[in-house]
Parts: sequence; structure tokens; C-alpha cells
Amino acid sequence: MLFFRSEVQVQQWCRAQGYIQRPIVRMDQLWVLAKTWYATRLQPDSRRPQPHEMREIFASCGLKDSFWDPEADNFAVPGS
Amino acid sequence: MNFELQVKLAVYRHFAETGVRPSCDQVAKRLGTPADEVVQAYQRLRAQRVLVLEDDGISIRMAPPFSGVPTQHVVKAGSLSYFANCAWDALGIPAALHQPATVYSRCEQSMEPLRLEVGLEGPASSDWVFHCVVPAAHWWDDIVFT
Repeated sequence: MLFFRSEVQVQQWCRAQGYIQRPIVRMDQLWVLAKTWYATRLQPDSRRPQPHEMREIFASCGLKDSFWDPEADNFAVPGS
Repeated sequence: MNFELQVKLAVYRHFAETGVRPSCDQVAKRLGTPADEVVQAYQRLRAQRVLVLEDDGISIRMAPPFSGVPTQHVVKAGSLSYFANCAWDALGIPAALHQPATVYSRCEQSMEPLRLEVGLEGPASSDWVFHCVVPAAHWWDDIVFT
């Protein structure tokens, strides 16, 4: 999970590393994910989102591709 | 509050208060409990994907969003500096601390440095992007690679 200056840099990096390019995430979308995952992490009632909640969280910030589905298994995994 | 939760909170509070991982002994001292009980709780927290441990089984590699080892993702909040496990976690640290922070990282292709101010309402406007090569269903197959 890495930062890139632009989508062009992502394309170049994926080509050089032999990885398939995956969906691009904007900083405002990443903030929603970071906040949802971690805002209560230091509190006693914190818990990790369950798969159905993860799907809802991703969809709520526009990430609807099946890449984000924690129970989808139709992708090649890098290095496998 | 059960013992695992006490251990988890002690670990997270140590990270938040110091910027570095606690030793098993430090967690044990904080809780007033024997270190071997903390080690056993670590194993259960690892099974629950709360902690990622080093091969020695007692050193914390990850307590997401905090990293127990140096990484390219540095977050400065107040007078403290933290390492994040990844780009997502770099924003996760200010979210967890509920504090404004500055994220220092880089573009993985060009190595251009990133400096991103993150306020309580989120990051300053930025056209940098985030990319992950591992599908969500496989993040925990090898969380260090992810």
C-alpha cells in the first residue's frame, strides 16, 4: 500500500515490477478509509470491520470494484 | 475488561505516548502482570489479526496503524514521531490519535518526497494517489507485503 505522485507513476511502477495495475484511490477516499479503520483504535470498544461492513465502507467512498471485496477470490495475487 | 483487551490497549497506548513499540516487559509492568501472560495474550491477539509479531513471538512488528520497525512512512504529531506500516496507515495514525499531523513519505516510482499536512478533518488538498497491488481478500495472506 503505497503513495504515488500520479496515476502515470503507478502505471510505470506496475510495469517495471510486473504487477497488474489496480484501482487508484484519491487522498480524500484514503482519509475516509483511515478514519473508519482507526478512529476508535485506541478505545476499548474498537473492533475491526467485518466483511459486509468493509464492502459498505468501500462502496460509501466510491470504491465499488470487486478488488475491494474481502470475500472475492477471483484475482491473481502478486508473488503467488 | 478481559485480559487480551487490557494488553491490546496497553500496547496501543504505549505506541501513542512514545512513538515506539513496547517490550513485553513494559506491557507487563504497565498491567502489573507476569510477562509470560502478556506473551500468551500476544499470541491470541495475533490470531485475531490485532497484532503482527516478529519471528521471536514477543516483539511487535505491527499494531496497525503503528509500525514497530522503521519504514518509509513517518508521521509527526505534536512532539512525537511515528512509523506507519503503509500509506493507508500513514493517514491512520492521525485518525487514531485525533491529532493534526504531518505525513512524510515518497512516490514509490519517482522517489519524490511527499509531505502531507493532515488536520482533524483530513488531509490538505492533494493530487497524490494511493495504490495497492493486493486484492482485499488476500491482504492478510502476507500482511507485511500488503
